[in-house]
Order: sequence, then C-alpha cells, then structure tokens
Amino acid sequence: MGRNQIELLVIYQDIHLMLQDAEKEEANIGFSMEGKEKLLQAEKEMEKNIDIRYLSAYKRLATRFKHPIVPVQDGTCLGCFAKLPTSFSARGRADQSIFTCEQCGRMLYWVE
Amino acid sequence: MNQRESSGIFQQEFFIPELKSKTKADALEEMVEVLVRAGQVKNKRIILEAIQQRELLGSTGIGKEVAIPHCRTLAVSKLYAVFGRSRKGIAYGSVDKKPVKLLFLVVGPPVEKTNLYLPLLGKLCERLHHAKIRNRLLEAKDYRAFLQIMEGGE
Repeated sequence: MGRNQIELLVIYQDIHLMLQDAEKEEANIGFSMEGKEKLLQAEKEMEKNIDIRYLSAYKRLATRFKHPIVPVQDGTCLGCFAKLPTSFSARGRADQSIFTCEQCGRMLYWVE
Repeated sequence: MNQRESSGIFQQEFFIPELKSKTKADALEEMVEVLVRAGQVKNKRIILEAIQQRELLGSTGIGKEVAIPHCRTLAVSKLYAVFGRSRKGIAYGSVDKKPVKLLFLVVGPPVEKTNLYLPLLGKLCERLHHAKIRNRLLEAKDYRAFLQIMEGGE
C-alpha cells in the first residue's frame, strides 16, 4: 500500500479508458489488440495495491459517472464545474490524500 | 492534417531529431521527459506507467519502422505529440519484429475540447503507411522540414 493512492487510481482509470478505446482503435485505426487479457490481469493486480475504501468509492462513482476521477483546473472541478474552496485547492495540491468534489462527489486530481 | 492542426500539435520543443536511447523503455522515457522539461507535465510516472500498460494491449509498433505509443491519461490537460527519430533503430517488439526508427508519442486527457485524440492516431497511421513519407521523415533536416512533411500530402 506504499504508493500514492491517487496516482494508482488515476492509472486504474486510465486502464479503463484504454479498454473502452480498444475496440475503436482496432476497428478504425488497425492497432493490434491481442493483449486484452493481459491488460485485464494488470488491472486486477493494480486493485491489490489500492486501499479497499478508495477502490470501493471509485467503483461506486463509476456506476454514476463515466470518469470517477476528474481534473481540477483553475480551482474548478471539471466534472461538474463547481468552484472549489481556495483552501481546499491548496491542500489538494500538497496533500496525497483523496479529495472529492463537495458538489458532485467525484474524486479530484490536480493536473497543474 | 492541415497546417493549423500540425503546427498546433507538433511543437518545435517536442521534436527530437536523434534519440539518445537504445531501448524501448528508455526511448519512451526520453520522449516523456521532453514534456516534463517543457513544463507541460507534472507527473512523469503516471504517463510512463499508462503508456506501458497500453503496450500490454498490443504493441504500438505498427511495423515499417514506425511506432505510435499513446494513451489517454488524467496526468495531462491537453493533447500532446512528441516526435523522436532513431536512425540506428530501436528494438520495440513491433508487429513485424523490425527495429523502430520513427516514433510518435501521443498523449491526451480523457476528455478534450478538440476531440482530436483518435483522429490524430488514425491520421498518423494513414500517413505513415506511405514509404515516401517515412523516407522523408528519416531525412528531415530540422523541425521546419518535419512540419512540412506532416502538413503535406503523400
């Protein structure tokens, strides 16, 4: 459980996106996709390193939102476009804890 | 790919005329490092890991000495493309098992206003299918020449 949890969750979401894009990439662009099982396995392995509380929260959010984790830009949650409290943003950048938007409940990731 | 699209996506600071790396992992890191140095990326680890995970799905070495490593990740706020060239070639695990000389790293956020991520991948594959374009890219002297090739026709 040593790794930064928000980083792991971001990569976990990135993998979901890859699996969603896989069909389009194969059909429209022609990329080879023979390793789908390997990626599903990697996704399962990653779950072992994510704190069960965060993983459950992520999965719960995934039933409501396409992207359970959203970026924060200019102090705004890009999931629901609610302005986040200034102090909240400052903490989110420095802290490695998981922050959620008070408005929509999505997990937040500070890109900048 | 028109002039506006090309010059907007392929910026000069993301043009690497000769990669120093000799391995696939090092080449990917060298290309991501360009984004980090330009101040465009905060978390290199996430991008590298996402790219490596994407390779599990299937090699992005599409053959004919070309690789288009790519991923969508929250670690970037807009679409970036980095070009890297290795005249000696890099063992990449491509579909045709041949070393790769032309690499295009494409990284975009999960949602982007321009919605160019998949179209860009498609256009790159289509364009790089032509031997004439690949040969010109191998010979391109500088960024300006590279851009002209990317903007131009076959």
